[in-house]
Amino acid sequence: MDLRPLILALVVSAACGGHDAAPAMGHEARVFAGGVIPPAGGPQVSGNPFRGDRQSAAEGERTFGVMNCDGCHGGGAVGWVGPSLRDGRWRYGGSDGEIFQSIYYGQPHGMPAYGGLLPPGAIWKLVTYLQSLEPPANVPTQSWK
Amino acid sequence: MTRMAVLTLLAVLPAGGAAQRGDWPMPAKDYAATRYSDLSEITGANAGRLRPVWSFSTGVLGGHEGQPLVVEHTMYVVTPYPNVLYAFDLTREGYPLKWKYRPAVDPNATGIACCDAINRGAFYAEGKIVYNLLDGHTVAVAAATGQELWKTRIADLSQGETTPVAPLVVKHRVIVGASGGEFGIHGWLKGLDLETGRIVWTAYNVGPDSEVLAKPRIFKPFYDRGAELGLTSWPADVWKNGGAPVWGWMSYDPDLDLLYYGTGNPAPYNPEQRAGDNKWTASVLARRPEDGTLVWAYQFTPHDGWDYDAASEMILADLVVGGRPRKVLVHFDKNGFAYTMDRATGEVLVAQPFVDVNWAKRVDVATGRPVVDSTKLTGASRGNVKHVCPTLEGGKSPASPAAYSPRTGLFYLATNNMCMDYQATRATRIAGTPFIGANTPYHAGRGGYLGAFIAWDAGVGKKVWQTTEPFPVWSGAVVTAGDVVFYGTLDGWFKAADARTGKVLWRFKVGSGVVGNPITFTGADGRQYVAVYAGIGGDWFLLSGDVRSDDPADVRPPADFMPDIARHTSQGGIVWIFAL
Repeated sequence: MDLRPLILALVVSAACGGHDAAPAMGHEARVFAGGVIPPAGGPQVSGNPFRGDRQSAAEGERTFGVMNCDGCHGGGAVGWVGPSLRDGRWRYGGSDGEIFQSIYYGQPHGMPAYGGLLPPGAIWKLVTYLQSLEPPANVPTQSWK
Repeated sequence: MTRMAVLTLLAVLPAGGAAQRGDWPMPAKDYAATRYSDLSEITGANAGRLRPVWSFSTGVLGGHEGQPLVVEHTMYVVTPYPNVLYAFDLTREGYPLKWKYRPAVDPNATGIACCDAINRGAFYAEGKIVYNLLDGHTVAVAAATGQELWKTRIADLSQGETTPVAPLVVKHRVIVGASGGEFGIHGWLKGLDLETGRIVWTAYNVGPDSEVLAKPRIFKPFYDRGAELGLTSWPADVWKNGGAPVWGWMSYDPDLDLLYYGTGNPAPYNPEQRAGDNKWTASVLARRPEDGTLVWAYQFTPHDGWDYDAASEMILADLVVGGRPRKVLVHFDKNGFAYTMDRATGEVLVAQPFVDVNWAKRVDVATGRPVVDSTKLTGASRGNVKHVCPTLEGGKSPASPAAYSPRTGLFYLATNNMCMDYQATRATRIAGTPFIGANTPYHAGRGGYLGAFIAWDAGVGKKVWQTTEPFPVWSGAVVTAGDVVFYGTLDGWFKAADARTGKVLWRFKVGSGVVGNPITFTGADGRQYVAVYAGIGGDWFLLSGDVRSDDPADVRPPADFMPDIARHTSQGGIVWIFAL
């Protein structure tokens, strides 16, 4: 199907600045969402333009469902076949820029690269959504009576 | 055991193989998928004296589904991803390895597999161990040396296809399928050449007759008429991503020359995106193994709106039904009904619920169709449909195959006593990402327990006994001529029970939850042994919440419907052997 209308609908703003170089693709092959490889050169990544913005977090939550992120990370990002994204722990770094990179370029073990489908603004809103999630109370200790 | 039954069992050993009585050469022990062994050293009188005699860590954490093979005093074990194949020498002290085979498997497969990186086991044929790697390859390895003989790419990860299914080998055909009902694949079955690995035929489960291999005058479904049923029961083009994966078990009747297998759910879970029956999803198909020709098919759950895959095993037995001896196929569907069918024609003879069912009132055997409760129909426009029984885990999971004893005439199976709410949403197919469209939280069914191990009389469609369990039961079963049945539990107990009464005779805590299938075999010393994997996973990797301990960056809350499971088990990967 043609995904363009969907993607356009997700993008309200894609304001980005800065000149940080995108990392080279890792040696492990990635899966590309929709079979679309992220554009060469990558986006310019500096700060999250939507950091802390509740409206952007809500839009990011919608994208999390529409782009099937919940199919692997679970509803509310609590973890499913993919790891939890709301436990305050990160395999590949939890800064805004590091989360952005994981979504844009994908990660090994099946995390698809979404940079070919989603514009940077939509990815930043996903980052904003994930950063808005509170870790559950039982991290890191669990006890039973 | 009758003489006829002995002859039947001998007849279904793999043609040309070296397997002997007391071996376990294929996933379900025989082509009829009985998981019955005629070994009888272990009985109800002595099972209480069982003890562990050996164990081995596979080095892999994750769902240890499937089962070992034993052929000529060698035991073969396939691990979950990365699909290491171990060959243990059962003639030597401590069962040391003869060899191990470590294939290169694409790590991306672990994120494309919907439900943990499991493997359902290997098949021994003609001196070869044949099995599937998770990343869409079938391999054949020399049983004597561990040398790779061939490796064939059968599936496409980029389209959401993964391959945990165990192959079935019939004569010179290796039959394989792919998972991906949660990724919108176009489900298929393939036949490979055993000697070379070449793909000889591909049969799709949905789509045009030319691709489904449904030929005029040969394809005769019992309840359906007309051509192009795999097209006309779908909206235009929707079938191309319509699911119908093959991830369960296959069986084969050498007299009828029919191969039987079940197909998984239609995609996506939101049924409003795919009006029609969606044939042949959630169905049993009977094909010729030589060229894949479709002979008959039957759909258990038309227009499935509850993720009721029909991937459970099709057990072939000769039963008296309605006073007449019949050659039947018995199938315990995720949808909660147990079907006893004529395996030559696909006629439903008996269909009765084996767990609490409320999505349908009954199955009309005259039309073959379930009588659906319209208040349990799901879809994005219907909001959150509350309390549907059973859940999409199934009244019984296809991951936990049943056993059949010709001595007792009973079927033995692990069941789940859970119901779900089902909130469908519109889903978008993006290749390589999930294509689901439903949120489906679970709760305990009537009685408050989450699972049970039961015995079933398929001639009349009636439960004979049951043993309730606090957690869902997710292991396969094996039953023996000693009238002992073995199964494991999610909280890590391996149990022996009296096949006639269900009384638990013995149990042992195996270190991690059991989602694999026990086997029994004759050792080099002539004694009877029982083997099983411990290693919670499969759907329980997703659903158990906090049983994971190997990743500091993945900490999960307890599962709301079984908050205590992590108190009793964590992930693992152990092969156990028991004996008297």
